[in-house]
Amino acid sequence: MQNTKIGNPKTPAAQSSGTTMSDMDRITDILSTEKYLTDGFNIAVREASHDSLHQAIMTCLTETHQCARDIYNVMFQQGMYTLEVAQQPKLDQTYQQFNGYLSQIPYSGRVQ
Amino acid sequence: MQQQMTGQSQSQQPMFTTPPQVITGKDLNYLADQMNWLLVAAKKCSHYAKECTDPQIKQIIDQTGQMHQRHYNTLLTHCQNNNSSATASLPAQ
Repeated sequence: MQNTKIGNPKTPAAQSSGTTMSDMDRITDILSTEKYLTDGFNIAVREASHDSLHQAIMTCLTETHQCARDIYNVMFQQGMYTLEVAQQPKLDQTYQQFNGYLSQIPYSGRVQ
Repeated sequence: MQQQMTGQSQSQQPMFTTPPQVITGKDLNYLADQMNWLLVAAKKCSHYAKECTDPQIKQIIDQTGQMHQRHYNTLLTHCQNNNSSATASLPAQ
């Protein structure tokens, strides 16, 4: 039986602190804010009229995504996230299923 | 300010190859929206970073706030567009 849970032990910052805001509460709120901002930039970048504006917002979008990723990694290091590993049979089955569908795509077999 | 035009249309007007550097009304609405979000986000990061005890969390929240400040300034620069001169050289529609 494989180990299905992956995560670091919780650091003191990852402990809940009753009714007051903890460091974990704060970083969780910041991560939510970053997610919200990427949604906003994504809509705005799609609607930008000229190229230089499009590029500027695109930079905001990618940097904010990277920032959210860095925050997530810090949270994972501090034991705030636990990952659940998929069952190997289910993984294999899904691979088989979609590998079978590959023949339905007209481009299949043509490597670019 | 160089206008990107080429060729002749059937109405003898130059054709646009790319949209000119004008801030449209729609652009401006989005810019104001985004700057509002970034302003609040930067304030929030600054506030939280001061309260944090864990140095790693403190540092990443502080970095995040500085990034929001940079993005705010970038978008603000785009509001300094001279729409009057950009539209002066355009053919009347």
